[in-house]
Amino acid sequence: MGKEKIIPILALIILIIGGTSSAYVYATQIDKETISINGYEYTIDQLFYMGEAKTIETMEGEKTGVSLEDLIPKLGVGCPSCHEYTIMGKEGYQKTVDWDIMKTGVLADIKKVYFPDTAKSFWVGDIVEIEVK
Amino acid sequence: MKKWKVIAGILLFGSLWGFSEVIIGSTIQDVGLPSGAIMTGVFAIFFLVSSRIIYRQPGMQFGIGLVAGGLRLFNPFVGCHLCSAIAIMAEGAIFELIWYRISFDFSELKTTIMQGSMGIISAYTIFVGGYIVTQILTPIADGANFYIENLIVFMPNILARGLIAAVIGGIVLPITILTKKIDITIKDRLYYPTTIGLSILCWFVVIGNWFVA
Repeated sequence: MGKEKIIPILALIILIIGGTSSAYVYATQIDKETISINGYEYTIDQLFYMGEAKTIETMEGEKTGVSLEDLIPKLGVGCPSCHEYTIMGKEGYQKTVDWDIMKTGVLADIKKVYFPDTAKSFWVGDIVEIEVK
Repeated sequence: MKKWKVIAGILLFGSLWGFSEVIIGSTIQDVGLPSGAIMTGVFAIFFLVSSRIIYRQPGMQFGIGLVAGGLRLFNPFVGCHLCSAIAIMAEGAIFELIWYRISFDFSELKTTIMQGSMGIISAYTIFVGGYIVTQILTPIADGANFYIENLIVFMPNILARGLIAAVIGGIVLPITILTKKIDITIKDRLYYPTTIGLSILCWFVVIGNWFVA
């Protein structure tokens, strides 16, 4: 088969993959008010009530939220440094960090985590779950 | 073609692409549009394809990606600068691989369907490829661990986001090929001052923008 046939067929396959993936992402998107942490559901207000507020300096300036170093042990996670934490956004975006990174971060009221010393790709937004591994 | 002429071309096109990513990309992001897909579909495709039309040199687009990614590193205030820089460099390399078997006179791409199809393939592949590469390399470059399950879970989203880039690329590539008909000739004595001057201007604005921000 020559290039004049392969190239349009490949383009069509790509459009089908992109379209199917878009439908899948739309259908599986999780939209909820609460954040699941270590198996329990919390509203952002509850989390702010439980943990201490903290302001950190990031490459985008100051960010204020509830301190994850303070919050995580209060949510019943024993030995926080023994675990890794997978932070998941509603669109399926997720990042896994160890305690050394986790403890430096804050959870802002817009349901987004910020860390002072990581790339922005670790700043997961629209959080639906923090899995303790 | 003289080696230095190609190097100056790499510097110029890489600087223009990097400049676009930082200055125009940030504006697109600010208005809430999918900046990554738009930047790839419009600017990456335009600069990579037009440089191929003008210079017809293998390996050049890889170099352009390196320069553009390098310039992107100089503006840490817009989006994730490390992720973007890695993605741009990967996009240049992936483009080079996809176009390896396409002749430099574009003889395979005579019809609009072929041009549009190649635009779709190029934009989608470099966007998705760049995204995947940056998801792997950014945590490593940042001193954290890379977790394959994080990438697998997010793959449908990456494949979906590429659709916008693909559609835009399918439109932009035929338009870019139309520029083959425009005959712009720069005399040799003006070529180096023009290319180097424009490149310096791009870097000056981006770095200046960093200090202003």
